[in-house]
Amino acid sequence: MKKRTKTAAVLLAVSLAAAALSGCGGSAENGAGTAQETARGQEAKRPDDVLDEGVKAGDSVIVTMPSTSEPEAGFDPVYGWGAGEHVHEPLIQSTLTTTTSDLKIGKDLATDYTVSEDGLTWTVTIRDDVKFTDGEPLTASDVAFTYNLCARSSSVNDFTMLKEAVAVDDTTVQFHMNSPFSIWPYTMAIVGIVPEHAYDENYGQNPIGSGRYLMKQWDKGQQVIFEANPDYYGEEIKMKKLTVLFMDEDAALAAAMAGQADVAHTAASYADQVIDGYQLLRTASVDNRGINLPASAPAERDGITVGNAVTSDVAVRRAINIGIDREEMIENVLNGYGTPAYSVCDKMPWYNPAAQADCDPDAARQLLEDAGWVEGSDGIREKDGVRAAFTVMYTPGDSVRQALAEDLANQLREIGIEVTTEGAGWDVAYDKAQEQPLVWGWGAHTPMELYNIYHTLPATGSAEYSPYSNKEVDNYMDEALKAGDLESTYDLWQKAQWDGKTGVTQDGDIPWVWLCNVDHLYYVRDGLQVAEQKIHPHGHGWSIVNNVDQWEWKES
Amino acid sequence: MERIVKDNRPVRRIGKKFIRMLLLLVTVSIVTFTLVSMSPIDPLQANVGQAALGSMSQEQKARLEEYWGVNIPPVRRYLNWAGAFLSGDMGTSLLYRQPVSRVIGVKLVNSLFLMVIAWVISGVLGLALGMLAGIFRGTWIDRVIRGYSLLISSTPVFWLALLLLLVFAVWLKILPIGLSVPIGVEASGVTFFDRVRHAVLPAVTLSITGVAGITLHTREKMIDVMESDYMLFARARGESTFTMVKRHGLRNILLPAMTLQFASVSEIIGGSVLVEQVFSYPGLGQAAVTAGTGSDVPLLMGITLVTAGIVFLGNFIADVLYGVIDPRMRKGGEPS
Repeated sequence: MKKRTKTAAVLLAVSLAAAALSGCGGSAENGAGTAQETARGQEAKRPDDVLDEGVKAGDSVIVTMPSTSEPEAGFDPVYGWGAGEHVHEPLIQSTLTTTTSDLKIGKDLATDYTVSEDGLTWTVTIRDDVKFTDGEPLTASDVAFTYNLCARSSSVNDFTMLKEAVAVDDTTVQFHMNSPFSIWPYTMAIVGIVPEHAYDENYGQNPIGSGRYLMKQWDKGQQVIFEANPDYYGEEIKMKKLTVLFMDEDAALAAAMAGQADVAHTAASYADQVIDGYQLLRTASVDNRGINLPASAPAERDGITVGNAVTSDVAVRRAINIGIDREEMIENVLNGYGTPAYSVCDKMPWYNPAAQADCDPDAARQLLEDAGWVEGSDGIREKDGVRAAFTVMYTPGDSVRQALAEDLANQLREIGIEVTTEGAGWDVAYDKAQEQPLVWGWGAHTPMELYNIYHTLPATGSAEYSPYSNKEVDNYMDEALKAGDLESTYDLWQKAQWDGKTGVTQDGDIPWVWLCNVDHLYYVRDGLQVAEQKIHPHGHGWSIVNNVDQWEWKES
Repeated sequence: MERIVKDNRPVRRIGKKFIRMLLLLVTVSIVTFTLVSMSPIDPLQANVGQAALGSMSQEQKARLEEYWGVNIPPVRRYLNWAGAFLSGDMGTSLLYRQPVSRVIGVKLVNSLFLMVIAWVISGVLGLALGMLAGIFRGTWIDRVIRGYSLLISSTPVFWLALLLLLVFAVWLKILPIGLSVPIGVEASGVTFFDRVRHAVLPAVTLSITGVAGITLHTREKMIDVMESDYMLFARARGESTFTMVKRHGLRNILLPAMTLQFASVSEIIGGSVLVEQVFSYPGLGQAAVTAGTGSDVPLLMGITLVTAGIVFLGNFIADVLYGVIDPRMRKGGEPS
């Protein structure tokens, strides 16, 4: 991030210099118009060399992605293609289910799925008209093969709950589970089905699937070229060719300015640049930032301190949650490109709207007064000799998290809480977060995240990332995982957040305070209609092209 | 044949160098490994991501820790690696899940293309400019060349790269913004010309910065030569400046210039890391960064050893070429 600001400064300096030069040259334009002026020569014109014969102009699109989006191990679902921090549709392969735009479950290969009473057996029937791109039909045994392979050697996706997948006949597959896992359909939405007959250790380099696109070419470290699968069984594919370029934000910005990419990813700090022939696209995300507030008094465990004397008071945690102005924070830190966050799963089907907390600093002060936190001479509160002060840590090099921590410190000072900020690398952050708040980033398309953040670990009697434990909350989530039908579990996940009496929201224990969801930003060439996006998960990446087959070029 | 057997001094000299190289590589590998082991990067965090870890069960995390070797003591990991390396197996890249040798092979070809172009341009240009400046010392030619060199040698290479990118790719739109192949074109449609076009900006960036050092050093040496007695004598004989330089100057400055040029291999490799980053060029530099930040120990060790080998090779060739250029060296230290 530091590098980014530096290079951004260089970009800026150079543009200024150019503006000055063009001014000297007697140009009628003023300085600010220079960028547009130089771009006008080739306004919104795509370079000719990007169009292949056979693909009509207007049927192809070029999208940039961060270098980290390139799947190093190849396009192999077993080694994390589609899964991981940033879940997305695998494009090349078909999945059993799929997530809809409101993050509920739709169907891809599956025609139907059921789960047994005890939640230990899932039975899925699949379409019989699907062929891999090498002409071989896709059968239930390919599905079983894929899942068993994942259970054995999955790198990122979690399959520890799966005992075995069995193909009952050509179109029926059964999953036998080690333990009930009601959100299994969300896992089925990620795993691309690979062909049993054509799978070896090099599959990731030359993937064969049955999805919407064929991988035509992969120039490692640079680009991947996809072409529409002519035999695709689903809806007509409008965009015939997709080229994905892997580059950093600086390079992506340059690519858009040079007119060489149709969609270029960018960050809030760059988004005020005006590029002629491009519009800024904001996509909502559940890519949230929040802080943990250790909810127990300090104690020693395995050589580290667990708990915090200030944040262990629920009044302090509640005061923080309503004492902060999220809108102002988003304006200051993200240039306005974000939405307030009230939970780890805003807008997901399992989100409980009761989590929403309105900014009210006066009420926050009152809460603290009532709890016995009295203002001292320097404006910082104290209770029984304990000063209302703690440290908020952030990941060094992540400018957004650092700025959020600083802004939080400024805002909490207003209600009499002193916050110092400190950078902490991931080698120590997990341990330190047991004692001090840390700025985290979450946002997955699965309720498992909710589970892992708030559920008590049997080994320690406390949740994993921050000291907290509530039996009621645990019970709701355990029940939700065990319940058979997915639809009915949404209610249980919501109750885990707030059931009217207890939970993890403002009126409950509030062991985490959520700050904002970061919008994902893209420069999009005029005329390109990017289809409506699902709420993006954590991190920039492949999500943007989830529905690239439905994108279109319109005459503008 | 016979003569070689009789006169085995060159062989011995090369053999000594070779042993030195082995020692160098062992040291480099130990230092690299120690540094990686001490680095605060958590491989799970770096490669799987905090948010992904957050939706994972404890069992799955334990499996990943095993894969990334989190719980194996460093010394044992090093010995495992070294044992395999000695038997010719560079290991499997943890990130790419492919043999390290194959990953490096692909990246090295890209990088070498870039570096050889940059190296040749900076060498030839640097020598020419340095000689010009030395011959016409004090004139405007000298001042321009010297000014240019000083300016460039104090310019950060990534800044220069961004500047060239903005001018030639963004504003003039005559060169690509990066990558080593045209966007969206299949391999069969990529010509050699395309590859050169894509290598121009990164290679030029590398050579522009590489030129400065060689120019300044050559200039100094050229001035020494021009002030020497034999040059004075040559001038007294009425030789023209051109013949003087050709007959007496070139050979005398070639030796230091060559030492410098081969030593600059290490600088070009260093610079290529930054330049490849700016131009999204898929070379060894980018791979090294990925391996380092991703705790891919086998790949990082492989890349470090290969680059150390290349740098060593550069110096080694310079040593051998001394003998070719300077007959005095061919006889070695033999008292005659």
